[in-house]
This record gives sequence, structure tokens and C-alpha cells, in this order.
Amino acid sequence: MKYLKQFAILCAFCFAGDLLSVPLHGKIPGNVLGLALLLIFLCLKWVKESHIYEVGEFLQQNMAFFFLPATLGILEALPQVGSQFGILLLISFITTFLTAAAAAFTVVFVIRLQSRRRIRREIQAETEEASCRK
Amino acid sequence: MQEIINKPFVWIALSILTYEIGILIQKRVKNPIANPLLIAMLLMIGILVATGTPVETYNTGGSFISMCLSPATVVLAVPIFRQMEVLKRNLLPILAGALVGSLVSMGSVFALCRLFGLEDKLTASLLPKSITTAIAQDVSSVLGGIPSVTVICVCLTGILGAIALPSFLKLVRISDPVATGIAIGTASHAVGTSRAIQLGETEGAMSGLAIGIAGIITAVLASVIPFFG
Repeated sequence: MKYLKQFAILCAFCFAGDLLSVPLHGKIPGNVLGLALLLIFLCLKWVKESHIYEVGEFLQQNMAFFFLPATLGILEALPQVGSQFGILLLISFITTFLTAAAAAFTVVFVIRLQSRRRIRREIQAETEEASCRK
Repeated sequence: MQEIINKPFVWIALSILTYEIGILIQKRVKNPIANPLLIAMLLMIGILVATGTPVETYNTGGSFISMCLSPATVVLAVPIFRQMEVLKRNLLPILAGALVGSLVSMGSVFALCRLFGLEDKLTASLLPKSITTAIAQDVSSVLGGIPSVTVICVCLTGILGAIALPSFLKLVRISDPVATGIAIGTASHAVGTSRAIQLGETEGAMSGLAIGIAGIITAVLASVIPFFG
């Protein structure tokens, strides 16, 4: 019963997310809105982690498995793409590395920028303090 | 026999079996290339082709498995909730990373598609390949792409991300868990995230967060593109 309840709660959030995405004309998909809703409910303590814990862990640990049916779409997509499949694959591969590198270096760069600014501000505050003392 | 094959059970059982075989092989080989999803995909393709089963028939069972993608995405709120402090402390770097990553993803896909002279339909199919399937499919059809081609590129990108990105990021000397998570999530959505979760809770949470942010950014950018095209 516990598992059923947990699954029902998660399904309810999926449903609410889908419902919300209708007035947005599907620009933001239901599951992303559902994620945002659940996050808000967790922060407001309207939903506790224990309410969804076991089923949540199960879903997260097997996340990749749920993609299996989608990967088999290759059998339908292949005839449509034909000889250009190799090129699509090559482009997908190259751009994945570029994307990851761009995202990672941006995060590191902005973190460094922020900490440098923080240090500068601290030094400034210290010198001001020192000059006040004089 | 045909009636039994049209029921979902055999396909659900075979899917789980092939995936478990994938997990077993990964444990034996201990190399990320032995990715369980990749192995299961190859085995299932073999089974479907050998038995001459159309994907449509497989999907009588497959659709039950795909259905779990939605609650599995929603529940990513939990690791994000647990890492709220990290998120608050690094809000600007996280947003900047996902934004730049998404821009580079779409920009580089567009440039390479032009370079290889792909037709517009395929370019549109490939543009959203770094984001999660649900959003990518919609973006693809908005841009005039072929959703089924998009989905397969999304999946292959995810598998590649799960296999190669952790070592790649180490190679380019990224050690920060926030940067690692955001990079994996932005570049290879939920399949990449399934590997990021194994790296650590911060990596997993940031990767899950990046799925949402990158997905929204790409969806918004894509809704703007037709005005220029």
C-alpha cells in the first residue's frame, strides 16, 4: 500500500504538470513543470521526502532503463534517414563534448569570478576599516 | 501465438532481461563503454529484427516502460531539494553554465549540419538533441523536424554522455562537482544524469537540475528561432 500511495503522489504531480502546460501551449513540458511543483511542495513541507522515498529511489536508480523503448525507435527512424545516419551520429558525438565543455568551463569561470569579487570586497572593507581607524 | 505477442508481458520481461544482462556485463567489464542501456538496446534490436517484430508490436509493452519517464523526471526534485544550499550558493554559475551550454549545443549542431550540407528537416531534428526526450520531441516538431529521428539522437547523445563525459571532464581538469553535474545534465539529459548520480549526490542533483534548465532554455530559444528563419 505504501508503494501505491507513493506512486499515486508522483503521478498526481505528473498530471498537475501536464495540466499546467496546457495554458502554456506545451512550450514547457508537463514533466518539467511537475518537477518544479514537487520542488515547491517539498520546500513548503507540504510533501515530505518520506512520502515518496522508496518509489522515488526506484525510479531514479532505473532511470536509464525507461529510455529503452525510445532507443528502439531507431528501427523506425533509420529508413527515414538512410545513409545520413552516420553524419547525424558524428554531429551528435562532437557537439556533446563541446556542450559539456562549454557548460563546465562557464560554471568554473563564474564561480572564480564571484570568489575574486568577494575577496576584493573583503580587502576593500578591510582597508576602509583601517583608514577609519586612522 | 500472435495474440500472446500482442500482449505487453513478453516485451516488458524481455526489456528487463536485456537490461539486467547489460548491468551484469557492466559489473564484469567495469568499463563505462559497457553501458547497460546500450547493451539492452542492441540485444532488443537483435531480438526484434530476428523475429521480424515491428516496433509497434513491441510498444504494446514498451509504452508501459516509457510511461515511467514522467514520474522519474518529476522525482528529480528530491535530489535538487536535498542540495538546495549548493543551488542557492551557486545560482549564478549554474544558470550561466546551462545557458552557455545550451547555446553552444544548438549553435554547434547548426554549424556542423550546414558544414555537412544536411537538409533543413534533419537539422531541425538534431537541434534539440541534448535535452530530455519529452521537450526535444516538441521542439523538433515546432522547428519542422522529424520527432522519431530526434528521439533516437537524444538517446544516443545520452548514452554517449553517460559513457564518456565523466572521463572527458576529468581529462579537461574539471573537478568541481557542480560544474561536472551541470555539464553532464546540459549535454546529455536524464541518461547522462543516471551516471552522474553514481558520481555523487551533488553531481546527480546538479545534473538533474540542468535537465530542467537546459530544456526550458532550449524550448524558449526554439520558439524564437522560427521568427528569424
